[in-house]
Amino acid sequence: MQTMKPSLLLTGYFWLIVAYMIFPVIIVIPVSFASSEFLRFPPEDFGIRWYRAYFTDPIWIAATITSFRVAVLSTLISTTCGTLAGLAISRSPQRMQSPLTYAATVPIVIPHIFIALGVFILALRMNLTDSEIALAFAHAAVAMPFVVLITSAAIRQIDPTIERAARVLGAGPVRAFRVATLPPLIPAIVAAAIFAFFVSFDELIIAQFLMKGSETLPMRIWADLRLDISPVVAAVSGLLIVVTTIAMACAEILRRRAVATLAP
Amino acid sequence: MKIRPILWLFLPAALLLGAFIVLPSFDLFRASVFDPEFTTKHFQRLFERGVYLDVMWRTIRVSLMVAVLCTVIGYPVAFFINLQPRRRQTILLFLILIPMWMSILIRTYAWIVVLGRDGLVNEALAALGFTTEPVQMLFTSGAVLAAMVQILLPIQILTCYAAMTEIDLDLIRAARVLGARPRQALARVFLPLSLDGTLTGLVIIFMLSMGFFITPALLGGRQDMMIANLIEFQVQRLNWSFAAALGVVLLVLTVGMIVLLRGGGRMLARRILKGGL
Repeated sequence: MQTMKPSLLLTGYFWLIVAYMIFPVIIVIPVSFASSEFLRFPPEDFGIRWYRAYFTDPIWIAATITSFRVAVLSTLISTTCGTLAGLAISRSPQRMQSPLTYAATVPIVIPHIFIALGVFILALRMNLTDSEIALAFAHAAVAMPFVVLITSAAIRQIDPTIERAARVLGAGPVRAFRVATLPPLIPAIVAAAIFAFFVSFDELIIAQFLMKGSETLPMRIWADLRLDISPVVAAVSGLLIVVTTIAMACAEILRRRAVATLAP
Repeated sequence: MKIRPILWLFLPAALLLGAFIVLPSFDLFRASVFDPEFTTKHFQRLFERGVYLDVMWRTIRVSLMVAVLCTVIGYPVAFFINLQPRRRQTILLFLILIPMWMSILIRTYAWIVVLGRDGLVNEALAALGFTTEPVQMLFTSGAVLAAMVQILLPIQILTCYAAMTEIDLDLIRAARVLGARPRQALARVFLPLSLDGTLTGLVIIFMLSMGFFITPALLGGRQDMMIANLIEFQVQRLNWSFAAALGVVLLVLTVGMIVLLRGGGRMLARRILKGGL
């Protein structure tokens, strides 16, 4: 399409829509540095009062740590299962590939509230409510499709003859995989793990249904937004916006690099 | 039947999905019709009361609106990115990806900051002398719609963009060589070729909208409740079987509408491709 030039109108339209998408997110950051008691824009005074309030409030910190713990466990589970599934998909016969991909990615199509309710009813019957481990597994099931999609795309780029050469030279199947296929795959796996981590870290509804005693960070934010919107939410949001942007940018760069360098 | 050794690697994933997706789904179906004996009373209640029908109808209507708005707004954006040189495309795509990565909870909160009583829009309106009293923007359908479109738009832009990069540009060149004006080449060659991908995006956005919970709850009023909110409300009141029935209806409606949209969309696409529009 390089033969065509975008009109000025289209260029303006593009930036308008980008502003519409990004502006509401950006605006939270100055608000989080306001020092007044109420949500106000533009803020009158700046300070780090609400960040201090967040870091010194045991309830907020406990919620953050719970989320972190659940997300780490969930990432381990979904990355392991998802990478293995990605391998199975990309190395299985052609006619098996799309049914397997559909099967592995089906949680994307199902509304979270449906999964949350189903897991909740099952957990009630099995006395598993309020278990961080059950929550981590449920989050892992929701995050796994992303891992499968990212890793299987990367595996398909790897030349299988290298692994075959390792086998011919006497390596066992596991060793051949570890030496020949795994190293170039690592950026994609790390990228997938970062995505999986944030799927769990951000998830609200399943946690809301399953957890009664302890709460995760999104549950804490949710409770705060429903009752009275304290400026601590702005500080938490500010932190999350920065952390997510950095982590996701790294993941995206890794993912692109994995696909680009592996391509023959 | 002998299973190929490589397929064993799929087993952990299958177990995870079986235990946390398939089994709970069956349990949910079971809970919706056994309470504790077989009964259809929950579904009857659902279809007899006007309030519940209203919520279902609204969920479909809002989801369709969001899907269509995202498509209409997003298509030209994807088109613009596709027109850029390769390197710049990557940078522009990042601008679309950044908001997409943000937590929906945070993005919804951001809209509270923008639309609240002392929010950005109200302060701006007052400063410019348009208003003396804050305008009520939170807890309206408009707020829900604006935020849902903002949240889902990046997904539609990326889907459209992916469809557009698949198009063989030689076809456009051929059309131009054969005498088509740029506008004609776009309308008769480029647009039809990108239609299928755009339709896929529309269906994805619709599907995601159907399950929206956070945004209608925080930005909408009572009149903006969607199925997911109704489910949560019923769970809080411990009406699990009724909530399960609602969950089943949500899933059936979502899948049913997807089939309908794909089918209807395919027909429309064929008509456009044949030039019958």
